[in-house]
Amino acid sequence: MATDASYGNALAGGAQTAPSRTALQIVHEWVTTVDHKKIGLMYIVSALLFLVVAGIEALLMRIQLAVPNNTAVSPEAFNRLFTMHGTTMVFFVGMPILFGFGNYLIPLMIGARDMAFPRLNAFSFWCTFFGGILLYLSYVAGSGLAGAGTAPDVGWWAYAPLTAAPFSPGHSTDYWTLSVLLSGISSIGSAINIVATVVSMRCPGMKLTRMPLLVWLYTVMSMLVFVTVSPLTAAQIMLMFDRYLGSHFFDTQAGGSAVLWMHFFWIFGHPEVYVLILPAFAFANEIIPVFSRKAIFGYPAMVAASVGIGFVSLSVWAHHMFTVGMSAGSNTFFVLATMAVGVPTGIKIFNWLATIWGGRIQFTTAMLFSIGFLFQFLVAGLTGIMLASAPFDWQLGNSYFVVAHFHYVLVGAILFMLFAAFYYWYPKMTGRMMSEKIGKWHFWLFLIGFHITFDLMHIPGILGMPRRIYTYEADRGWMIWNLIISGGAAIQAIATIVFVYNLVWSFFKGKVAGPDPWDAWTLEWAAASPPPPYNFPQTPVVESRRPLWDIKHPEDADAYYE
Amino acid sequence: MATSQYGLLTQQPLEPWELPSRGVVGMLCLILAEAAIFLIFVVAYIFYEGKSLSGPTPAEVLKIPIFSTICLLSSSITVHFAAHALKHNKTRQTSAWLAATVALGTIFIAWTGMEWYELIYKEGLTIKTNLFGTTYYSLVGLHATHVVVGLLMLSLSLAFSLLGWQTEKHYNRLEVLSLYWHFVDAVWVVVFLVVYVFGR
Amino acid sequence: MNKAHDNGQTVDIHLPAPTAWPFVMGLGIALMLTALVTNMVLGVLGVMLLVVSAIGWFMQVLPHEAHETLTVSSAMVPISSTRTVLQHTSESSIHRRILPYEHFRFTTGLRGGLAGGLAMTVPAALYGILRYHSVWYAANLLAAGGFTDWAGASNQFLSQFHIDGLMAAIGIHIVVSALVGLLYGALLPMFPRYPILTAGFMAPLLFTGIMYSAIGVVSPILNERIDWFWFVASQLCFGLVCGYVVNLHARIRTSQFQALPFLIRAGIEANRGNRESSEDKSE
Repeated sequence: MATDASYGNALAGGAQTAPSRTALQIVHEWVTTVDHKKIGLMYIVSALLFLVVAGIEALLMRIQLAVPNNTAVSPEAFNRLFTMHGTTMVFFVGMPILFGFGNYLIPLMIGARDMAFPRLNAFSFWCTFFGGILLYLSYVAGSGLAGAGTAPDVGWWAYAPLTAAPFSPGHSTDYWTLSVLLSGISSIGSAINIVATVVSMRCPGMKLTRMPLLVWLYTVMSMLVFVTVSPLTAAQIMLMFDRYLGSHFFDTQAGGSAVLWMHFFWIFGHPEVYVLILPAFAFANEIIPVFSRKAIFGYPAMVAASVGIGFVSLSVWAHHMFTVGMSAGSNTFFVLATMAVGVPTGIKIFNWLATIWGGRIQFTTAMLFSIGFLFQFLVAGLTGIMLASAPFDWQLGNSYFVVAHFHYVLVGAILFMLFAAFYYWYPKMTGRMMSEKIGKWHFWLFLIGFHITFDLMHIPGILGMPRRIYTYEADRGWMIWNLIISGGAAIQAIATIVFVYNLVWSFFKGKVAGPDPWDAWTLEWAAASPPPPYNFPQTPVVESRRPLWDIKHPEDADAYYE
Repeated sequence: MATSQYGLLTQQPLEPWELPSRGVVGMLCLILAEAAIFLIFVVAYIFYEGKSLSGPTPAEVLKIPIFSTICLLSSSITVHFAAHALKHNKTRQTSAWLAATVALGTIFIAWTGMEWYELIYKEGLTIKTNLFGTTYYSLVGLHATHVVVGLLMLSLSLAFSLLGWQTEKHYNRLEVLSLYWHFVDAVWVVVFLVVYVFGR
Repeated sequence: MNKAHDNGQTVDIHLPAPTAWPFVMGLGIALMLTALVTNMVLGVLGVMLLVVSAIGWFMQVLPHEAHETLTVSSAMVPISSTRTVLQHTSESSIHRRILPYEHFRFTTGLRGGLAGGLAMTVPAALYGILRYHSVWYAANLLAAGGFTDWAGASNQFLSQFHIDGLMAAIGIHIVVSALVGLLYGALLPMFPRYPILTAGFMAPLLFTGIMYSAIGVVSPILNERIDWFWFVASQLCFGLVCGYVVNLHARIRTSQFQALPFLIRAGIEANRGNRESSEDKSE
């Protein structure tokens, strides 16, 4: 029989009577855990480590590009840098960190004690973790000879036939394939877990129409994972057959098609963007109402829009392939489908604005990041609509304009919302508040750095600077822009250091948070901070979308109105 | 669990709260994901149909596997009966039906093995030969892998059943396994139609 | 912080027991894949780990899932917030604005749409008779959107009676009328005052606007020959009739109606319109 007292103290670093344990015991506890909260934290911590690594790769690229004819890194190393940066950020930072938050929050929000398949959950995490390690093993063991490593250098979308054995000798591409395959197994496992948890583990009264929007969006995201990560897994298996068994899927010499790989990759690749952005929407859906002191506007419309985005996103993949040369009919179809995504997305933005409208807004750090997200996501969406039009894309495809556009989505929207989520749920996870003062520094530094880097990055793109070049001539007119962009990247790096400092400082010195520091409304705030392994002593019963509002205001409960 | 934790006035008594089994939901999700994987392989097969630069072609070397198809499809029925028998705790019947399922599945996989043997050693068709070989072996092989995994699980279930360890408490698990097996059979229908009927 | 020890009640909670097998299996699979790029010895190790962990995992789940039991106090965590929480200001008993209180059944919109569609045939036929001396002209023009080989048809051809044209026109017309009617039924509750006037005029005008911009793509032949005056006239006819029919039907109350004070529900105090002054619902 274990008691629950030690758990909270261990995480909160509390001074109470937790028996001191050896390092080995602590490692054993974390390796063998099947608790969704610990697994969620492991996901988040491992993703943060990879975030730092991939961020350093980005900085190295920016140093190389800061001035023309630079030789800070060699061309070969530059190829590896952008490949590893992209692959790491998507598969070993983005997916794990979002799954980590989902793991941590979903059972708490629906009043469950754990995920549906706790052991599968642990397995998924370890697969991702080992996948990331395998990817970076390539730096030391790439070609099979110790010390003569080469990392993958075929770009994160690894177009055929560059990946074929004759053009990509050695094992560097195999490292990419295998680690992405491993990450795919993990993602599918996590997604199965999330859907089964949401369908089968809700507490009494938690109808689908009462679920927090975060849970809804994670469900949609998980359904998307099934139909997008699976095709990638299939394509990776084909690529492995090509490379190991000599089959001809993408071998143009034997009649195979390189374009087929593009289709397969982007059938995964574009919905993947929505797999990443839907959790960001999910965080916004929880954070914006709480700090506007209003219930979310248009709950059913938000759910419908999320499901709509899920469906439409499955039919837009080939807008990544306008420059490949498709028929006019397919071009038109993919232009229209891509623009159609703007409709449900627009609904979401208007609903967030309507939620803020007339609210009593509290500008906490989490809310600041959310507002930054709203603005930047709008801009990113607009450049997306620009690129969705095929003739425009023919001009700017594969230029820095595209790089700026998708970094606006990935950094300006997803990363901003992730930061907001850290500030918002950190008290729940550790029992301590993050410092608002350091947080404000983090926000403003990061905001300035972000806009300097990615606003200006559109300009060299329009001036014709192609992506993935390792250096450029001085007389192209890109010089000054690249220098400023690299400066902005440095400011973002400083902001990230401030953020990490805040994480560590608050863990030990932060103000002790009660169970409900934000006066919020969803179930996770009814558990202690940090929650004990069993989450809730009694299974909660909910009667509305905002169960904690009902407890705090029994005379005016939501339950009367729903 | 019956009363509200929060002492909130309930407008109406809480309705009975029953949710679907997590095993079934999890398996359905896995099936969705696997179906997407198969879809990609089927698309590749259809896309490359008739684009091989050299022989042999499907029409020359493939025979319609009617007997093994019947075996595999009827194993779907036997596994259903096995689960049904377990629900009513008739363990002997369960064992018998499971044994029949495993036997039928084994016949199927043995037939596939023989087909591959002939193709490789008599017709000289390997995964390297041409696009047909590439897509054929990967699609049928992917399906065969799923059959083998299913057979392993079914054999385990059969062993437990014979040892008397499997009781009606485990009905849910066998139901999940039978769902998987139905899926493997359904995929074979698609593979059969694409490869052996329309693809020849 | 999280326990109330003085509460005597305790409950037993079953949680899945910690286990290292998922970790071992993950490592096994990772090693098997690593073997493909390094050395087969790692693969052998990976397969061994995989088999061992599969057996171990099986033993965890079968015949019964391994549990560990925690005994905890059943007292609930008091929800304490470090933020100051304002007391609820109660200047009005109805401080929540939830709209709409009443709405129409969706079949009502359908009926209105069909009635409007029927009424619309009158100005359409009138237009045909006045301009081309044929009742069938408008119907054929509509049907021409569906038949590609009618694209270059002459006015004379369009003035004749064609059974397939009439059938197609009726089909298109019914579908469009029903859809617009549904949309109209959904719109109406949002215009609380003068519903027929606002929705009956605005919906057709909006519809015309969309048609005006889209028709070149949808049906070029219609675009060439359309007479916008008569088009707007028949649209208005549609909207007004549709609105009239919809308004005849009784509204049904949403569940939120139950939350209104008794006086309003009973219809005694009917000032639902002017609650703009009431505070926003939070805090």
